[in-house]
Amino acid sequence: MNNIETNNATKCDQACISLKTVDDPEIGLNVVDLGLIYALDFDENNKMVQCTMTLTTTFCPMGESITSNVMMALEMSFPGYEIDVHLVFDPPWGFHMISEEGRIFLGR
Amino acid sequence: MLGGPFNSELIKTTSYKVILPFYIYGAVSFLVATIMLLASNQDFTGHYFNPHILAVTHTMALGWGTMIILGASHQLVPVLIEGRLYSEKLAMYTFYLAAIGIPVLVYAFYVFNMGPIAKWGGRFVVIAVLLYLINIAKSIDKSQHTNVHAVFVLGAVIWLFLTVLVGLALVYNFTYLLLPKDHLHYLYFHAHLGIIGWFLLLVIGVGSRLIPMFMISKYTNTRLLWTIFVLINLALLFFVAFFYWMETLIGLTFIPVLFILTAIILFGFYCFKAYQQRLRKQIDDQVKISLLAVAMLMLPIIMLITVISLLITVTDQETNLILTYGFLVFFGWLTAIILGMTFKTLPFIVWNKVYHKKSSLGKTPNPKDLIHPGVFKIMAVAYLLGLVLFSTGIILLSSMLLKTGAVCMLLTAVLYNFNVFKVINHKAVTI
Repeated sequence: MNNIETNNATKCDQACISLKTVDDPEIGLNVVDLGLIYALDFDENNKMVQCTMTLTTTFCPMGESITSNVMMALEMSFPGYEIDVHLVFDPPWGFHMISEEGRIFLGR
Repeated sequence: MLGGPFNSELIKTTSYKVILPFYIYGAVSFLVATIMLLASNQDFTGHYFNPHILAVTHTMALGWGTMIILGASHQLVPVLIEGRLYSEKLAMYTFYLAAIGIPVLVYAFYVFNMGPIAKWGGRFVVIAVLLYLINIAKSIDKSQHTNVHAVFVLGAVIWLFLTVLVGLALVYNFTYLLLPKDHLHYLYFHAHLGIIGWFLLLVIGVGSRLIPMFMISKYTNTRLLWTIFVLINLALLFFVAFFYWMETLIGLTFIPVLFILTAIILFGFYCFKAYQQRLRKQIDDQVKISLLAVAMLMLPIIMLITVISLLITVTDQETNLILTYGFLVFFGWLTAIILGMTFKTLPFIVWNKVYHKKSSLGKTPNPKDLIHPGVFKIMAVAYLLGLVLFSTGIILLSSMLLKTGAVCMLLTAVLYNFNVFKVINHKAVTI
């Protein structure tokens, strides 16, 4: 399973189902199995979801599309919540972050 | 564990409005070049210093190779340098100036009018390249993460600028006799600054980043890339130094050629290691063609070594071998790499434009689905057939092979344009 840091495992699973519909268009693998999602934090009092994620490289030509699609996937999954996509490059993405399912997909 | 502030600047990439015109221009130039190749295929049985051959060569080198590379590099340089392109406006001016200068220059070659028409064409091209050089140098200067790939690109652009300057001097030489030696002597110099300094350096610099990226390969070897960079630049510097003595000491030309040969073998090794250590087992056709193009680099090098050997041992210049060498560089290696890489980069640019913020639509096609795979495969076959037939036709001085080869190349260009315009005109759909 992916090492996504979270403060709410149930909601994190719900978010992952939605985020698995967002693919990196070059690789054809979803952002969860690719290991781009670092953390999902839920603030029930303020109705907020904060997604901390990365990209395979800075200035990735598909970066804007991927981050905006992550935001929309979360908006659809958590209506009424404010969604904050927090993009970080520390730690940088690496191959070891790809999930087992992702490796099986790439190795087909 | 997690750190660093969100910075939307880190995901802003060069606008498609800047890049697409270069791709369209390149595709149309390839079509025009193949039409000219068919119309003047019989000229390839004669000497290479021929107006129609000069026109075809410059359409291929500037209109096709350089314009596609300029377009792609405006998109890829930010990835390589991990920083934004300095100016999109400057990139557009580069396009406008080159777009005017190239056809003017090509027309001047075709009708062999080396007066004001050729001079104006040349001036426009030189200014376009100068603006591109400023844009790339400023982008690298502003970036915090200069790396070996960025240095390759900067080096390549400096050599391109020198190439077009020598080219303009050659145009002026027709009316003012600026240059002390034989015109053909400088033509050889001009051609190799462009082929090695611009195309080879740039393709290796960008390819060494993209090929492992597309194959999802863990392999990196910065030291090997620096070695390749030094070898190519040393070869060019030796070439410049030997240039003045080349007529008497032709054997010295082998030194830079051996440096280049070593650099190409090392780059082939780099690609092989990247291929071996890839996570993605299935390699798509576009990357396969690009890998094939790396292997195809050996053909012009073998031809060049043969030509130099013949120039040393026999007195007559083997013009058909020199023509084959040039053909294998522009229609062989360079075209193969562009045919592959166009359909690896262009669909992403268009996909980004069409499907940006479209996840609410449901499942959308992947960028690779924007091209017609059947047409791509037929194009690849027509291309390989055209390359083999035409180059054999030049060596054997066979008009039938030249004509058939030229028809196959024209078919390649038509099918290439079909897929380019299919991608560019793609409208949002769900699957």
